[in-house]
Amino acid sequence: MITLGSYLALSGVIFSIGLVGVMTSRNVLKVLLSLELLLAASNLSFVSFSKFNGDYAGQLIVFFVILVAAAEVAIGLAIVVLMYRRLSTIQADELRTMKW
Amino acid sequence: MSPFFFYLFAAILIFASLCVILARNPLYNVLSLVVAIFSLSCIFVTLEAYFVGMILILVYAGAVLVFFLFVVMCLNLNSITLTSEAQNRFRWLGTFAALMFTFSFVLATKSFIKAQAVDISSIRGTIEAIGKILFTDYLLPFELTSLLLLIAIFGIVSLAQGALSTGKDTDNS
Amino acid sequence: MINSTLIWIAFFAPLAACVLITLFFLKCKSSSSLIAIVGILTSFVCACLVFSEIFQTPNSLPLTSYPLPLELQQSLSWINIDGLTINFGFLMNPLAIMMLLIVTGVGSAIFIYSRGYMQEDPSSPRFFAYLSLFAFSMIGIVLSNNFIQLFIFWELVGLSSYLLIGFWYAKPSAADAGVKAFIVNRLSDFGFLCGIIMLWGVSGINGSARSFQFTDLINVIPSIDPHTLTIIALLLFCGVIGKSAQIPLHVWLIDAMEGPTPVSALIHAATMVAAGIYLLARTFFIFEPSPTALTFIAFTGAITSLMAAILAVAENDIKRILAYSTLSQLGLMVMALGLGGPMQGMYHLTTHAFFKALLFLGAGSVIYALHHEQNIWKMQGLLKKMPITGMTFLIGTLALCGIFPLSGFWSKDAILSLAFENNTLLYLIAATASGLTAFYMGRLFFVVFWGKAPKTKAHHGAHGHEIHESPAVMTLPLIFLAILSAIGGFIGIPHLLFPQEAPETLNMTVAVISSIVAVLGLGFSYMLYGKRPVNDPLVTKLGGFYTVLQNKFYFDAAYAWYVDNIQQNVALSLSQIEKVILDRAIIGGLSNLAHASGKVFRYLQNGIVQFYAMVFVLGVVLLYLFLSHSFALIFALGIIPLFLFLMFS
Repeated sequence: MITLGSYLALSGVIFSIGLVGVMTSRNVLKVLLSLELLLAASNLSFVSFSKFNGDYAGQLIVFFVILVAAAEVAIGLAIVVLMYRRLSTIQADELRTMKW
Repeated sequence: MSPFFFYLFAAILIFASLCVILARNPLYNVLSLVVAIFSLSCIFVTLEAYFVGMILILVYAGAVLVFFLFVVMCLNLNSITLTSEAQNRFRWLGTFAALMFTFSFVLATKSFIKAQAVDISSIRGTIEAIGKILFTDYLLPFELTSLLLLIAIFGIVSLAQGALSTGKDTDNS
Repeated sequence: MINSTLIWIAFFAPLAACVLITLFFLKCKSSSSLIAIVGILTSFVCACLVFSEIFQTPNSLPLTSYPLPLELQQSLSWINIDGLTINFGFLMNPLAIMMLLIVTGVGSAIFIYSRGYMQEDPSSPRFFAYLSLFAFSMIGIVLSNNFIQLFIFWELVGLSSYLLIGFWYAKPSAADAGVKAFIVNRLSDFGFLCGIIMLWGVSGINGSARSFQFTDLINVIPSIDPHTLTIIALLLFCGVIGKSAQIPLHVWLIDAMEGPTPVSALIHAATMVAAGIYLLARTFFIFEPSPTALTFIAFTGAITSLMAAILAVAENDIKRILAYSTLSQLGLMVMALGLGGPMQGMYHLTTHAFFKALLFLGAGSVIYALHHEQNIWKMQGLLKKMPITGMTFLIGTLALCGIFPLSGFWSKDAILSLAFENNTLLYLIAATASGLTAFYMGRLFFVVFWGKAPKTKAHHGAHGHEIHESPAVMTLPLIFLAILSAIGGFIGIPHLLFPQEAPETLNMTVAVISSIVAVLGLGFSYMLYGKRPVNDPLVTKLGGFYTVLQNKFYFDAAYAWYVDNIQQNVALSLSQIEKVILDRAIIGGLSNLAHASGKVFRYLQNGIVQFYAMVFVLGVVLLYLFLSHSFALIFALGIIPLFLFLMFS
């Protein structure tokens, strides 16, 4: 039987994978992709709770999250392009002027 | 029916996610994410959330990830060999932090593992059902998201403005 | 029924005058003096009205037992927290009304006099503001019904005294004298405060709440252990030593003569220095059960009296001679209180207020006429030129010497009888002091007023004008005070106010002896000074001893040595402690700590966004573990990544 717990476990695994990606990626594109994974994992958990509780609110939240994710990716990629133009690389470590 | 399909799509999803973070070629990263989104959408369908499943494919895979592909192609990143770049200094600490997080997550959701079956309710996320709720109870957030998209457009246009007009770099604003 | 509104008006009228002058009239000389005079006269009129009300009903209880049927007390609650209650109010009884009459009556005379005396001074509005402040503070002391309020006004009086002594602040000696007065008073007030607090501390001994009120304390006194009571009494007497200038804190009164003469008359002769005596009388129930304290008080008074009288013989400044005579008479009053006679002490205080104020105002008149010349050897034969001043001064002198039938005779006699009956040694000291008083006052009178005025130009004052009598605004108060000095013994002050005290029979032995001593003193001074020699013959007669007198028995020198050598060194070493421990170690240490911790923590900002994300995640994890599980998990799992990132960076 598939319980709520299995869906949450799946969501957790995807989220952790996404976290690893965000924290350890060398290039910023991969960071953005991992960010998408994080969002996908939370979408999954919302929908499974929605099904479990019998409330459409979870699915509506997913709707809005997708929307926001789209907007955020657009801007993020614009920044990546600008970074590439300026630094000729998309390595995350290169952005380190705001340090102590 | 349900257990088999759940495990199938879950396996694909996990494998694709791993490919997203582990693959070397940026093109493979993006394409793996596309596969992951597809399998996620299938899981949504098994949960009878048809509307969000389709929206996921249409918007996410269809628009956002295509945008990613554009950028990858534009910057010719598929030809950059990332092996020559330095390793991320914090990779082990990052992995450790993620593991810690997983551990806490498991601790937090322990109580749900013995819960009832997930499809205990009979709601079906069809367009009709979602549409009814969206345009009555959740009208305000719906309208506000249009504002959000407008702001996003402004942002991108202003970011790209400098690049378009002079062809030179401008400040990251 | 005593009307309490009148008392409140009398209390605050001078304060209103002071505030008015300070806020609006600091540039108008004439209006400011008028406002001040109106203020003090209001208080005087109210005091008279209250006096007449008190004596419509016959009084039947002695002075020092509380509560009297003729007593009125009103308090406003000021501080009222657990265990500490301080009120603000007045306690009206015959003693208080008498003192109030003296303060406001003599005060009014002096205020009117000052209008004339200070008319040439450009900053006289400030003078009248200070004078009104002083009047308010003095009335506050007179009327207070609890020790804390008394102490507040005690200090205020000290402040007013400082302001008035140093009125001509541009003159260094005047500024220094003001500071000296304030510091010496502060020393004594420390002992006073210790006594007050100690008394408050033991006043809860019966189980009742601790209190500062006189009416509560009188009920507690019988239950207090005698040794404690003696200590309290001696500490309270410390306040008297400073304020009423007894040995060894008498040094400020002499230098206080730097202030204008009306100040000397009001503050340092008639009222402020008498505040100590008033305190002793008002709270006599504290001293009465303690014979040790009383003996100490009596001997202090007697020694002060004798020493001041000896020093007066060698003085050449008219105001300083009068200051020493004030010291001497204060000593007599303190001695009277020490012998258990508050009535005698207060009687002498009253008559002393009359004739001492008269003498000071007379001296002021002389100084004014001679354009601020104060050396008696530069004054000669003024009786003919300034008849009113001269005659009133003569009356004052005779009253001070205790010549029958002037007021001084009666009051001094009361004290001497008390001494004669109780302690022969004290009587001898007091009698000697009285004899010396007659001698130096005679010296003063003969040198300044007697004989013929010389015709030389030097005697005509700075403007070359002929010396003439002072204006009416100054002579009228003189006449008023002279009348009071003359008939003061007959209006029966003690009889009016303390009817249950010792009957008014005169001890003939004492009376005769003191009259003879006084006449001898006067005669001796006539012998030496009647012919008005050019210089003081005593200089040669006393030789080396004269130098000691000139240096005032080296009290000032001793204090100066102490301050220079001991106190300064203590202060310097304490300041070193402050520099090293407080500034460098504690404050510097704290700032260094902030600095060092900043140096460590800035490595968290290395500019790499992924590192920040990592810190977020770790934070979330730690927070979750902390909130929902035990601390052990935190330590086990939290310290490791901290070490890791520290090593990495």
